[in-house]
Amino acid sequence: MSEFALLFPVTVFLILSAISVVTTRNLVHSVFWLASTLITTAAVYVFLGATFIAAIQLLLYTGGVITLMLFGIMLSRRHSSTTVPNPSEHQLLGAVTAGGVLVLFLTAIWRTPAFGRVVDVGTSLDVGNLFLSEHLLAFEALSVLLLAAMLGAIVLTRTSDP
Amino acid sequence: MILDNPYLHALIVGLPLLAVALTVAGFGVFYERRFAAWIQLRRGPVWVGPQGIFQIVADALKMFQKEDLVPASADQAIFKLASWFPMFLALSLLAVVPMGAVEAEDGSWTAAWAVSSLDVGILWPLALGGLMVFPLWAAGWSSNNKYSLLSGMRMVAQGISYEIPMVLTAMVPVILAGSLSLDDIVTYQMNHGWFAVWPPGPGLVAFVIFFLTSLAEADRVPFDIPEAESEIVGGITIEYSGIRMGLFVLTEYAHTFVAAALTATLFLGGPHMPFSVGPAWMGVVWLLGKTLFLFFVIYWIRWTWLRYRADQLMDLAWRWLVPVSLGLVMLSAVWVQLMEGK
Repeated sequence: MSEFALLFPVTVFLILSAISVVTTRNLVHSVFWLASTLITTAAVYVFLGATFIAAIQLLLYTGGVITLMLFGIMLSRRHSSTTVPNPSEHQLLGAVTAGGVLVLFLTAIWRTPAFGRVVDVGTSLDVGNLFLSEHLLAFEALSVLLLAAMLGAIVLTRTSDP
Repeated sequence: MILDNPYLHALIVGLPLLAVALTVAGFGVFYERRFAAWIQLRRGPVWVGPQGIFQIVADALKMFQKEDLVPASADQAIFKLASWFPMFLALSLLAVVPMGAVEAEDGSWTAAWAVSSLDVGILWPLALGGLMVFPLWAAGWSSNNKYSLLSGMRMVAQGISYEIPMVLTAMVPVILAGSLSLDDIVTYQMNHGWFAVWPPGPGLVAFVIFFLTSLAEADRVPFDIPEAESEIVGGITIEYSGIRMGLFVLTEYAHTFVAAALTATLFLGGPHMPFSVGPAWMGVVWLLGKTLFLFFVIYWIRWTWLRYRADQLMDLAWRWLVPVSLGLVMLSAVWVQLMEGK
């Protein structure tokens, strides 16, 4: 049970960071809280025994969040200090959307056959096997989508022939 | 596993490992200064203790005594936090490196004595190594200094570019050994030969590319534009002083040591030697020897090579290293198919 004793503070920290992402008024701080949220989510995956997903979470979201961070600074107005404002608008609409997503997730989790049971998932072997058997089509479709996105980025950013 | 309880095991194996890594990092500073002095025909630090060996102690004492200065216009919280995380991340990379070699009765070898034998093995150091740019960029940003911000930006650009060939070349041992676990990768090398040597060609090229990309991840010459002192004064550490500055310096050496240890584990057989390795604990000595050799090569390169320009860096990463490492991944997959098909 020692894992669950550790899991509790981790989860509390996860929720606090997630709340801080939207309540912090400094854009850069907000991005750091987002990073903290994503990393703590990886920690939760570790506690659930899904180490592969945890590692992938760290590996992929880092790059994504860092890019977001750079965009946050480079696309916002020029500032003389390290404080970049992070205005919050449409709070009611946001709350309604968040509530809807919460209900959606809760029903999905409730209906999962594995709900309430401890299942052994997430080893790299299982994930690899599933990708190359049951979910082969989705896997290949995703790689084609990523390739298209990559080509699109090249075409969009290229101004003239080199 | 030395003990059945994973927490106790991590404590008993991990603490000496941390001690060794930090000692090497500390003395790395002294060793590098003497080595650089030797290359440049100077004397270097020779006054404190015999041959100047206690210079590092004197430096540390000086740094501990200094006032903890935080610039008034800096982002206080991030500025302070950012100085602690890099060391924490750099040392955590070591957790999955197997340090011992155990011989079975039938003459086959097994890797052992990692702090944690994670199922995802190699993904752990790669993921944490990727996280490394986070606190470093944060340090550059929160200092509120244009040079340190430039340095942070360069660090991110270099970090995310060189991470791609690094991950791809790390996949070569993974494909050849058929497992993500570092224990399995080292065990495979013990029984089939080091990946830097076998399969001939692709293994060696992958080793060189992985070594180069770890230099870039640790910001060592020739990939050190993030801290190019002739252009941007001192990089992200300009505004830091005292023990926080000391932490950044120590982290650099620790990160270099860790990068060397990972390269030795992935491509140079870890604790294995082609001749009899002796008792199991000798594996630790061999691994440390290989790591220190690569550590030496990194500083050898540092004091005899020139720094690349930003555009040359990007050119090397995207036009050469990425395509070549993609090719290596395919070649190793073909190799595995052919060897299994025979």
